[in-house]
Amino acid sequence: MKPSDAYLTLDRMTVLIVDDNAPLRGILRTILHAMGAARIYEASDVPAAMDILQHEHLDLLICDWKMKPVDGIELVRWVRNPAKSPCATLPILMLTCYADAERVKRARDAGVTEFMVKPFSPESIYQHISSMFRKPRRFVDSKSFFGPDRRRKMDSRIGDDRRVRSGVKS
Amino acid sequence: MAKPDKSVEIINPPNMLKAKVGGKLPPADQAAIERAEMALGQIKHQFQDWLAEEVTKMEALMDSVSQDGLLGESGEMLFTCAHDLRGLGSTYEFPIISRISGSLAKLIETKQRRSIAPIALVRAHASSIRAALIQNIRSDEDPVGRQLAEELETQVVALVGAD
Repeated sequence: MKPSDAYLTLDRMTVLIVDDNAPLRGILRTILHAMGAARIYEASDVPAAMDILQHEHLDLLICDWKMKPVDGIELVRWVRNPAKSPCATLPILMLTCYADAERVKRARDAGVTEFMVKPFSPESIYQHISSMFRKPRRFVDSKSFFGPDRRRKMDSRIGDDRRVRSGVKS
Repeated sequence: MAKPDKSVEIINPPNMLKAKVGGKLPPADQAAIERAEMALGQIKHQFQDWLAEEVTKMEALMDSVSQDGLLGESGEMLFTCAHDLRGLGSTYEFPIISRISGSLAKLIETKQRRSIAPIALVRAHASSIRAALIQNIRSDEDPVGRQLAEELETQVVALVGAD
């Protein structure tokens, strides 16, 4: 594979970053831009994110968990509600400081595609994004759940090279 | 044989990125990662200032908590700040701040924990975070930093347990 071919992996991607910390959004933007992401939107809270999601066609949502006035899990639930959301199957990478199995399970049950614990590095960001698009998960549409099939264990790397037991049943 | 559950539908959503790229996606793109690391290197000089802003925010909340106690809104905001610092510390190349902030977040995570958390212990965490920043103690490879973090964690575990 030529490097120029590899560069194409992200250069048509449109991403939305939702985090209430402006410098952190800037770091993510820097990383994604350097990797070639074509368009990067930012939102500092969930209502602003919903507005962007309703008006733009996105390939990936990266969101923080703990935000005010509405947290990231509520955003995930809104995205995964086909009655309300224009993009119910959008890949979602949840980027958070929470690392415990209970939180991973809650994220999975809300419909998160991948869960990544801060801190992060360019390599770990790339690996998560690449994994989501190389191994897309099928979706389950039932009365009680709409989202990525929870029978496949969610990838839950912590930071650069640590790995947490998610406790999620396969 | 069990009947298939007709109330559950399996969907294979289109892989839009793959469609855009028009081919296989590589598992690793070292050139892209190196470009991102280089770009990150160009803004690294701002990390310490950004971290200092977060620590100043935490200290202001510490002042409010000293006056109003941990059970009000300031207590919850201090938890949120400690939680954020837990993630930001390592990102800004101060993993010791992530460690101490993690201990503080654990101490005051819930209202129940905030009701029993001694203000002096909360303040000791905040002071240690500032001290690490001022003295440029970045990781627990520094013996003083490690000892401080261990002592704070021991006291927190004694109060709220290991989980």
